[in-house]
Amino acid sequence: MRWSALVGLAVAALLAAVWLGPTPVTDYLHSPIVWQLRLPRALLGFLVGGSLGLAGASLQSLVRNPLADPFLLGLSGGASLGAVIAIAFHLPGPWALPLAAFGGALLAMGLVFRLALAGGAELDPRVLLLGGVAVGAFAGAVTTAIVSLADATELRNAYLWLWGGLSAASWQAVLVLCLYVPLPIVVLLAAAGSLDLLVLGEEPARYLGADVSRVKTRVYVAASLLTAAAVAAAGVIGFVGLIVPHLGRALWGPRHRALLPASLLAGGALLVGADTLARLVVAPRELPVGIVTALVGVPFFVLLLRRWTAY
Amino acid sequence: MRIVLLVALSLAACRPADHRSGGAASASRSVTDDAGRTVQVPFPATRVVSLAPSLTELVFALGGGSRLVGRTTWCKYPPAAARVPVVGDGLSPNVEAIAARRPDLVLLYQSPLTEAAARQLTQLGIAALILRHDRLSDVGRTARLLGPLVGGPAAGDSIGQIFDSIAASPPPPAQTRVVFVAWDDPPIVLGGGSYLTEVARLGGADNVFHDLAAASATVSLETIAARDPDWVVVVDDSGGDSVRVPHSAYPPPADRPEWQVVRAVRQRRFLVLPGALFGRPSPATPRAVAALRRGLEAAR
Repeated sequence: MRWSALVGLAVAALLAAVWLGPTPVTDYLHSPIVWQLRLPRALLGFLVGGSLGLAGASLQSLVRNPLADPFLLGLSGGASLGAVIAIAFHLPGPWALPLAAFGGALLAMGLVFRLALAGGAELDPRVLLLGGVAVGAFAGAVTTAIVSLADATELRNAYLWLWGGLSAASWQAVLVLCLYVPLPIVVLLAAAGSLDLLVLGEEPARYLGADVSRVKTRVYVAASLLTAAAVAAAGVIGFVGLIVPHLGRALWGPRHRALLPASLLAGGALLVGADTLARLVVAPRELPVGIVTALVGVPFFVLLLRRWTAY
Repeated sequence: MRIVLLVALSLAACRPADHRSGGAASASRSVTDDAGRTVQVPFPATRVVSLAPSLTELVFALGGGSRLVGRTTWCKYPPAAARVPVVGDGLSPNVEAIAARRPDLVLLYQSPLTEAAARQLTQLGIAALILRHDRLSDVGRTARLLGPLVGGPAAGDSIGQIFDSIAASPPPPAQTRVVFVAWDDPPIVLGGGSYLTEVARLGGADNVFHDLAAASATVSLETIAARDPDWVVVVDDSGGDSVRVPHSAYPPPADRPEWQVVRAVRQRRFLVLPGALFGRPSPATPRAVAALRRGLEAAR
């Protein structure tokens, strides 16, 4: 019942995204607006939102911290720095910015990973968190330095990109993501059983037979690769990766075999729905979708918190 | 017609309160700036710092270029401006660097980011004028205000009269419909509140987003596709001074797959305007209008 409701919600969000838009469409089957803009944008939104939801759920369990979201570990800082460098240095071509963002995210990930290994041969989740925050803050400082030296229009454009959006959606982008995301998704879904054990603590998980060290590395790398792709495709979209996993836990419980796919579907549905609102509410203008996910997500999150604290 | 009337009215209403308050050479006069502040300005000003590219260009046009002792990094026009020392950025100005040039008048662009600097300069005893210089109607008004201070009243009046007559004559009927693309991802277009929309109208082109009150806005691509402009117009700051229709090396939207839904992008109907002439409201507006009109006629 819950599953069919969630799948129904995801399908409804996708249909609404294709159906609704700022311009009236009469012939849906032959409209280039529907086929070249709305459909790839809805699919890209679903892939990005799903990736963020899944990455968020996995990372929260990995670092055993309910505050963790895909961007807490320094990836947004690295991606933003890459993007701003691409804009400030006028790197040409439509792929320069996403590739630079992707490269920046991977660089941040490598740096944080290296830091978290500093204490020994195993990833330390606490150092992972602190290292992520430190690397993110440093990248943020460099980003701000570059932006403050750039001229006014470049500065604004850089910030607009950082706030996230799906306006660059195209079939090419959808295709690239479709080829890219299955591997990290499968790796994360396969780690569901080990993550169940890991949330009990590393020592108990080890006694119960989990290969803790390998699981931590795999989950961290796969979740980061998903986040890096999401940020390259759509900029930094907040709150999806934070709220969706908590929502999933409230409805599906803490078992990862259900939580992870539920976060994937719900993340996709949330982002597609938020993007439809972003395109519609101030039409013909458009809001950055990250603002809508925050406006919709945060009140919901507050309700959820109240319910928890009521027990 | 109503628009023309409005522009004319706002020109008349915004005449500066430049009543004389003394006759000596080192006198000062009281000027009301666009922030509504009444400022005692040395008359004439001999050491001027300009913190906006459009104001720097205007001071040169008024014949006051030799009195400029400071400009921003972005003040590149006219070419002679390159000889003026740079004092930093126009928004969030560096007050210390400005004061070090020992100016007796500082011209600031109207923005919440410059108000604190204006206050600090006033405390240092330096006259600071906050000026709005975004639209066609601002050029003549500001020229009349600054003319007596930095050049001659005659220069200010002659520029003012040119813009009065532009405002008074009805624009030609629109021959073509254009979209001004300021950025490709996310798509940012210029709206009806922009100077270039006014230039386009005078040049016989209608901005398809003239209904947006803002100077620029992020819009959805499908709206651009649905409004179906004949030309995609971009401003190019990388040099050159003629309006051109490129036949290769098209502007960025051309390479983006999602932009192909816009007919003018598909058909590679791009019009590139040189930033030197079109980049900001300036006394050269009549030349910009003529260049745009010629460019559109040649392209048709």
